[in-house]
Amino acid sequence: MKITSILIANRGEIAVRINETAKKMGIKTYGIKTSKEPNALYLRLVDDVIDFSESAEEIPEFLDIERIIEAAKTFKIDSIHPGYGFLAENPYFARRCQEEKIIFIGPSDTAIYKMGNKTIAKQIAMKNKIPLLQGSQGNVKNVREAADIAGKIGYPVILKAAAGGGGRGMRIIEKATEVEKMFKMATTEAEKAFNDASVFIEKYVRNPRHIEFQIIADTQGNFVHLGERECSIQRKHQKLIEESPSAALNEALRAEMGEAAVTIAKAVGYYSAGTVEFLLDDDKNYFFMEMNTRIQVEHPVTEMVSGVDLIELQIRIAQGEKLPFRQQDVKLNGWAIECRINAEDVQAGFSPNLGIIEKISFPKGKNIRVDSGVCDYAVVTPYFDSMLAKLIIHAETRDKAIQASIAALKKCLIKGIKTTIPFCLQVMNNKKFRKADFNTSFIEKELDNLYYREPEDEMLAAYVAAFDFAAQLETDRITFVDFERGKNISPWVLNKRLKSL
Amino acid sequence: MKLMPRKKKADSPYFAVTPRGKKYTILDPFSEELKINGHKEEIKIFEDDDGFTYLEYKKKKYLAEIIEKNQNKYTVLLNGVSYSFTIESPISYSRRKFLEKYKEVSKSENITAPMPGKIIELLVEENITVKEGEAILILEAMKMQNEITTHVGGKVKKIHVRPGDTVTKDQVMMEIER
Repeated sequence: MKITSILIANRGEIAVRINETAKKMGIKTYGIKTSKEPNALYLRLVDDVIDFSESAEEIPEFLDIERIIEAAKTFKIDSIHPGYGFLAENPYFARRCQEEKIIFIGPSDTAIYKMGNKTIAKQIAMKNKIPLLQGSQGNVKNVREAADIAGKIGYPVILKAAAGGGGRGMRIIEKATEVEKMFKMATTEAEKAFNDASVFIEKYVRNPRHIEFQIIADTQGNFVHLGERECSIQRKHQKLIEESPSAALNEALRAEMGEAAVTIAKAVGYYSAGTVEFLLDDDKNYFFMEMNTRIQVEHPVTEMVSGVDLIELQIRIAQGEKLPFRQQDVKLNGWAIECRINAEDVQAGFSPNLGIIEKISFPKGKNIRVDSGVCDYAVVTPYFDSMLAKLIIHAETRDKAIQASIAALKKCLIKGIKTTIPFCLQVMNNKKFRKADFNTSFIEKELDNLYYREPEDEMLAAYVAAFDFAAQLETDRITFVDFERGKNISPWVLNKRLKSL
Repeated sequence: MKLMPRKKKADSPYFAVTPRGKKYTILDPFSEELKINGHKEEIKIFEDDDGFTYLEYKKKKYLAEIIEKNQNKYTVLLNGVSYSFTIESPISYSRRKFLEKYKEVSKSENITAPMPGKIIELLVEENITVKEGEAILILEAMKMQNEITTHVGGKVKKIHVRPGDTVTKDQVMMEIER
């Protein structure tokens, strides 16, 4: 069935991005208006707005499955694109769409379910002989069991809290003598933090690189990968800069990992766009981590090097079309880098910087792409994530892409809010990053300063402050008017008069 | 592009003092020359049609914005990085120095919420000693858990919040005694 209308169940730059491709394809678009962001950019761009702002429900708007389904039915919209985050990887939502005969632009609910469940996903990978990080099958009961497993898979290993997250209840064990101590620390910490002392063991990869493969597949069983993205520049598991291809891969490894990614996608009968994530160690061993069953934030770098519109393919696949190319037709050209521009104060530990964007302006150019969700006077609210826009640069080589990124970052002008631009500039100017010598610990280990500044910048800022202060004094002086006579009066005279009143 | 109106010569030098006590001496801020800490270079401040303010210095343009101003306390954003200063005239500067010598340094520092959000976890307890830069609690805002660190070291004197509490911006969450 041909899709004629799409309900975009998302906000920000991805809503803008989906809208753009849908319109190009002649599809009518609907956006959801929330009370948290009633003047957002995407609402001005979509063909029609469905207003969720009048009645507030307890469930946040973009997570309210029944309300979204109801809206699609009321407006007779034949498909829903979930974007990323929110309901994008909720198998129940995909199923509800199917039950209501609404096309869900994404994979099947079973594929989402299987890949969303870490245990099932790992079993599938193991069955298909995809390299995995070895570890305990389930929780480890005591010190002796921990030592046994660690001995089998080899040190270093990591103990992780089963209920965990955020680095707590995690302990790296370097050698056998440390097992007892670390096991106790991890379990007490897990108990304290999550009220659940259970921990499991996994092989620990020191300073891995994060490499992921873009998969695209149709409902007729055709699978293609569009090469890899490297997302090793991350802070607390938040990606900040991504690129495609990765300097860590050669053709042979690319083909091998791409094949592994396709194998996993095939094993769950995948269709639509998806991403298979791997860790790559220093010796170029790769390990399957997880599969993301949605379009990803960093998809534009793949689009730039492959020349493919992934959202368009998602829509075409959702309406039953066959993939228009085969693996051997895929040609990857040049190098693309994406810098995320987040409303975050890098000088204050990347804390969200809320407020109003008074002015925003991005550079334009042949190899510059900006996917932005904001415009002048946009309000950065605490309700959603802090990403404002993505700057994507495409060039012939990695060096040229870095150079062009620096030039473009300097032309991103934003007034009223602090962003991650000075951070991105600092990474682009870093020697090791330029030599592609980096991994996921780059920010901790290689960046002694998190933001880019030049030696004279502080002095110039001092000048701006002094200039404004002096101008203020000057204004105060000339506007100090004696109303009796209508002309300037010296403060000394005024003071004398006040005293004699 | 229009130039900002040039005002007539300002009379005395100004000092811009950073929180760490570094002092910049700016002579005559309205002249077309930057006279700062002995440097002398042509400088221009101007605003473009879009409302962005720039400095032009040594043939380079710098995006500048005053993001906070409270009497003589300034925070300036230059190319996206913020710098804080206290601006003083020579007289107020010497007065401040004089007062600082005699003023009893406030012993208790407030830790305020940098943004509205919800307290997820306290990482310290009352009466324990913390170092400058140490994480003291986790505040959730914008779907992210943010570690809030202390800008002073000392003893945790009082904790005003509990996990689950929502806080507004600038609300006092903790007091730390130096």
